[in-house]
Amino acid sequence: MKIVIGLFLRASVVLTGIALATFALLWNAPGDPALAIALARYDAIVTPDLVNEIREQAGFNAGFWPAFQAWFGPILMGDFGNSSVNGRPVLPDLMSSVSYTFPLGIAALAIGMALSLPLAILSTKRPGGWLDRFAIAVASIGNAIPAYWLGLLLILLFAVQLAWLPAMGARTPSHAILPALTLGLGVAASLTRIIRSGILEARGQSFLPALSRRGVPQNSISKDHIALHAAIPVVTVFGLELAFLLEGLVMVEVIFARPGLGSFLVEAIGARDFPKVQAAVLLTALIFVVVNLLIDLFYKVLDPRIGDHDA
Amino acid sequence: MTLQVFDLSAIRSGQAILHPTSLSIELGTRIGLVGSSGSGKSTLGHAIVDALRAQNKRVAHVPQSPDEALDPLRSFKFHWHEAERALDLAHDVSKQRTLFSALKIEDADLRKRPWSWSRGMQQRFVIAMALIGTPDLIVLDEPTSALDPIVAAKTMELLRDHLADKDVAMLLITHDLGLATQHVDRLIVLDKGKVVEDASTHGILVAPKSPAAKSLSTHRSWLSLPC
Repeated sequence: MKIVIGLFLRASVVLTGIALATFALLWNAPGDPALAIALARYDAIVTPDLVNEIREQAGFNAGFWPAFQAWFGPILMGDFGNSSVNGRPVLPDLMSSVSYTFPLGIAALAIGMALSLPLAILSTKRPGGWLDRFAIAVASIGNAIPAYWLGLLLILLFAVQLAWLPAMGARTPSHAILPALTLGLGVAASLTRIIRSGILEARGQSFLPALSRRGVPQNSISKDHIALHAAIPVVTVFGLELAFLLEGLVMVEVIFARPGLGSFLVEAIGARDFPKVQAAVLLTALIFVVVNLLIDLFYKVLDPRIGDHDA
Repeated sequence: MTLQVFDLSAIRSGQAILHPTSLSIELGTRIGLVGSSGSGKSTLGHAIVDALRAQNKRVAHVPQSPDEALDPLRSFKFHWHEAERALDLAHDVSKQRTLFSALKIEDADLRKRPWSWSRGMQQRFVIAMALIGTPDLIVLDEPTSALDPIVAAKTMELLRDHLADKDVAMLLITHDLGLATQHVDRLIVLDKGKVVEDASTHGILVAPKSPAAKSLSTHRSWLSLPC
């Protein structure tokens, strides 16, 4: 219980730090946010008076700390403020964009796991064999291919040439197949290598020969012992994998014109819509922190020796 | 019945660490495998276990260190059940209690994972696991090196009592001649991966023939040590 409270305390410190850092970055970003907002709002020639009015309205004249408090205070109550472009509350828009992004992320992870786990297990059947080399080659190439290139190739093949799948938008579940595949292949590539090396390392554990001398069948050894030891590095990189995934989601959503968190963020940055940008960054950070919190808790269950000293 | 293994050998990175060795072990006998460090004792022990397993013989093996016997991520309970399943035995609480109280680990928490017990307790747990079934041969690789002298002596006594009325052969790997003389009646002396002498314990102590046996038995004063 003490551990759990400690983890939550750490998480809240991290989140406050992120809120402060994003706010400071945006506050000090070059260019005039008021002008950008005016342009985004009226999309025409704007007068200096109008810009000044917006500056006053958005609280840019108040100074850093009052502005930060005016933004962060309500967030603690769950109020993310209003868009400085269209004046609508940020939270409903954010949630509706997440409702597109979240299933896509889960689908990409599922595709990644479904591909990488069998591939890694197959490749470790005979380390150094042709299957293993092939798997490593595929994984390395997959790792090197950027999502925006792979996404376009998939569009060319499945949407343009074969016309099997839609390329743009998010109207039906089939619209999610190509983006999920684009992300999932990237996830599979990096997970394959990690699971593979996890299994190989777990196989070198010094207690394993004693188990087979004790008469424990090879199947049980793989299932009850090797899998558990191989899971530790996989769990470790899962947090990093999520960062990669969030990054990829932004790109993929723009390529496939999906109205998700990525598109939300890109549009908001373009319009200098500070409340929206900050809300999106904060939400991303929250997801990241929560997942890493769960990973830490999972560690405590899997192997309580891990992290005993640095916690 | 006699257990027999033929032409056991081991090569590691191009070097023979065990030259072809054949052995026969009568059921019910107690044999000591002695030799200096690096003479190939543990390797021969492993080779014997693996060869006999391949012949479908029942063999129990206690490795040198509990780290080589227990998965740090699994509880003692898990290991115990796994060992029982490996021998096709049903869970026998009274047998477990008997072994645990004999080895003085009856109060320890079995839900814990290996590293939360002391190494001596872990080692005694591993020895208890080796005694679950009734093997044809039990190979003990320096079983008492992690134990204090009193517990070590108690453990060996328990082993002796446990095996007394059974047709189980015991192979005790050790460099402690004092321990060997108390518990075995035949000694195999190993030097640089070769069996250089194989005779009765008394014979080797009184009239060692090979240089390796001679250098071991110059520590004859060990015989008089209370152990």
